[in-house]
Amino acid sequence: MGGLLSGAWIDHTVNGLIVGNIYALLAVGLALIFGVSHLINFAHGSVYMVGAYIGWACFRLLDAPLPVTLLAVAGGCALLGVAIERIGLRPLAGSARIAPLLATIGIGLVLDQLAQLAFTPDPRALPSPLPDWRIQIGGGTIGALDLLIAGVGVGSAALLYGFLRFTKLGWAVRATALDRDAAQQCGVDVNAVNRAVYAIASALGGVSGLLVGMYYNAIDPYMGFQAGLKGIVAQLIGGMGNVPGAIAGSLLLGLTESYGIALFGTSYRNLFAFVVMVLVLALRPNGLFSRARQTPPEPLTGTFVAPSRPVRIPGWLLWALGIAAAALPLAVQNAYVLQTLGNAWLYAVLALSLTLVAGTVGQISLGHAGLLAIGGYASALLALDAKLPVALAVPAAGVVTAVLGTLLVSPAFRLRGHYVSVATLGIGEIVALVILNWESVTRGPIGVVGIPPLSAFGTPLLSAPWVYWIPLAAVALVAQVQARLLGSHLGRTLRAIREDEVAARAYGVGLDRYKGLAFGVAGFAAGIAGALMAHVYSYINHETFHAPISVLALTMVILGGLGNVAGAILGAVALVGLPELFRAAAEYRMLIYGVTLLLLIRFRPQGLLGTV
Amino acid sequence: MSTDDAILRLDRINTQYGAVQVHFDLSLAVPRGSIVCLLGGNASGKSTTMKVILGLVAPRSGRVLLGGEPVTGLPTPKIVRRGVASVPESRRLFGAMTVRENVLMGAYTRGDRGAVREDYERVLDLFPRLRERERQHAGTLSGGEQQMVAMARALMARPRLIVMDEPTMGLSPRHVDAVLDLIATINRQGVSIFMVEQNAAHALSIAHHGYVLQTGRIVLSGGARDLLHDPQIRDAYLGGARAA
Ligand SMILES: Nc1ncnc2c1ncn2[C@@H]1O[C@H](COP(=O)(O)OP(=O)(O)O)[C@@H](O)[C@H]1O
Ligand SMILES: [Mg+2]
Repeated sequence: MGGLLSGAWIDHTVNGLIVGNIYALLAVGLALIFGVSHLINFAHGSVYMVGAYIGWACFRLLDAPLPVTLLAVAGGCALLGVAIERIGLRPLAGSARIAPLLATIGIGLVLDQLAQLAFTPDPRALPSPLPDWRIQIGGGTIGALDLLIAGVGVGSAALLYGFLRFTKLGWAVRATALDRDAAQQCGVDVNAVNRAVYAIASALGGVSGLLVGMYYNAIDPYMGFQAGLKGIVAQLIGGMGNVPGAIAGSLLLGLTESYGIALFGTSYRNLFAFVVMVLVLALRPNGLFSRARQTPPEPLTGTFVAPSRPVRIPGWLLWALGIAAAALPLAVQNAYVLQTLGNAWLYAVLALSLTLVAGTVGQISLGHAGLLAIGGYASALLALDAKLPVALAVPAAGVVTAVLGTLLVSPAFRLRGHYVSVATLGIGEIVALVILNWESVTRGPIGVVGIPPLSAFGTPLLSAPWVYWIPLAAVALVAQVQARLLGSHLGRTLRAIREDEVAARAYGVGLDRYKGLAFGVAGFAAGIAGALMAHVYSYINHETFHAPISVLALTMVILGGLGNVAGAILGAVALVGLPELFRAAAEYRMLIYGVTLLLLIRFRPQGLLGTV
Repeated sequence: MSTDDAILRLDRINTQYGAVQVHFDLSLAVPRGSIVCLLGGNASGKSTTMKVILGLVAPRSGRVLLGGEPVTGLPTPKIVRRGVASVPESRRLFGAMTVRENVLMGAYTRGDRGAVREDYERVLDLFPRLRERERQHAGTLSGGEQQMVAMARALMARPRLIVMDEPTMGLSPRHVDAVLDLIATINRQGVSIFMVEQNAAHALSIAHHGYVLQTGRIVLSGGARDLLHDPQIRDAYLGGARAA
């Protein structure tokens, strides 16, 4: 070892602290928001992205000096934060706790898409206007921008401390976080407190985005997703809602990443964060600084099951619809239409998988894209490298995904509500990062090319009707299995877990086994979907199954009605099939998904066909 | 209307949690300057009455009148600003804030800083124990001390009316007497008190007037002295294990 004091290590330490400072600006805001509203704000990363673009506009379009730009970013993002609270979240005050969380996901998606439409997906340069000098300390160096970031970080922390400790509104924020009702009984207007907290958090988040943009001299519309997750990870490390903990967690995360990169290489950067996150969630869900290993704070009644009576679809109608769907290729010869609908069927299998875990055991998974990825890679590699016939590789991939997926998610079994969503999201990211880095098996960033097409008995089934029929058969199979399962005694036990985990545990229901079983079945279905996608697409890489697909799957499931088998299929056809068929909307597709999700949560949480 | 001689009046309140009805045509009045108690067993709907008064739970029908003016449907902070302070069930202090901060949170709605500082000193004179604990986190205090903080917090609002939910619950007999004395003292300074209690002996020893609530219905009411000697009350609330 070159010794910890060698120049390189000083540089890594400085770098870790700088990055930690950036995370802290995000995490502190997330902690404040969690404190007063017990909500993990998934839109926070998008605010950070907006901050970077406001900064870009100030520098490039207005030639504004740095102090003015900083103020403009803070002010603009504060307004955005207030708008998010007022328009997106306050109307949901009375609904199930997971509803606002899903709303923040929708808001984030919409903001990212709007930025992409306005500024193109391409990265832009955001040159720092600071002088380019560096000072030597020991063997390392510190630059002007490093000092600015450190100054903003320390300055914000000091201001925040003063605000919380010495101002009336700051006291109200703390009181609201400690006991909302009691604060109201002291005359605190908790809506005003919420507004203030969103404004402060968003201002800090936006400034963070600006500083990061300057640090790397690059911004893009998707920069917020990873950053927001890092902020959440940092906050988890420090303990949800704990402001000083968020700062400590951020610095720890920054240092871990910086040293990790030094030891293993840059492409592992995000892997550390998500592995740390899953470990913290599994071992110390209250954060590193909590004393005991208790269940996290939050009345975690986290299911999104709006009370409703599911629409009863008569058996004959299901048969008629099934036969019509199967006969469609005889009437429609247009290959594009058939391929699009075939793709919709594949998504329907994914949605069925998600609706099983979300609708029965109440686990709102945000990591289903990871299951698709496992299935896709397993089948592609089994067919290519192990020379397995495709007809065997696909079910084998289903089994691999069932086993691997369940094992990966099992640390999250003892979590509930928001924590499940965060953990599964992290697990999905881990899968993508392992695929990216495990080059000897997965071929890393290059992806897998030349995946053999679907085939039976050595005959490739390339034509459009087959690409339609095979996914349809998968839908029919999975839907059958699931309908049987839900109607059985086992299905009722699973739903009992969703309704009241504590009571189910008290009755001696072995929660882990049932959750494992649900994830096993769901993993098999998602694995098959991913496998079929791989053979249909013939090329996949680590981004083919990216996180927005998890959000899309969730939107389908909510659109159809959580836990509703027919609803999941309907949701997939509506969201994947329709926008493609009407072409016009191709560019706005993700935006449409985000808006759909928001409208559903607000106006029809039970979905089109009702929850089961 | 504002010449109502009652500081608080509930007028035929019906309250429901989902399908479960908690109040049935609940009516009562708190005359200005008096102590009125609402007695009732577990789950009879006492705490819900407090929540209705404070606007934390909306009644399905009926009216809440403060000094003759309807406040039904107003958000809690607005009702508080009309001069209602509260000592909630099991105190509900801000555990990770200091005693000083907790007490001063009671003055949240007030803008007169100088007067607030004077009131703070005066309130602490009433609770000398708290002076020693000023910088301590409220969560670390004993039950009796927490009750004092809750009462001090309520007083800081300079309220016209304080509503209290089981202020003697869980206190040692020595603290019970101290708390009851304080409530009487506060009342003598002109603050009306509406308190909810399971322990009829405690409540009636200082109250002027009492109501008895049974599964959401007022079944009995009268002067505190009469109620103390009412055979029905004696059997239900004073005779058995509940008597203190
Ligand atoms: N938030 C709530 N949701 C549903 N039911 C409630 C709720 N709060 C209280 N209850 C029910 O209402 C009834 C009255 O409760 P409460 O007013 O707390 O009674 P008390 O204070 O007299 O013990 C009880 O049966 C209780 O279970
Ligand atoms: Mg009660």
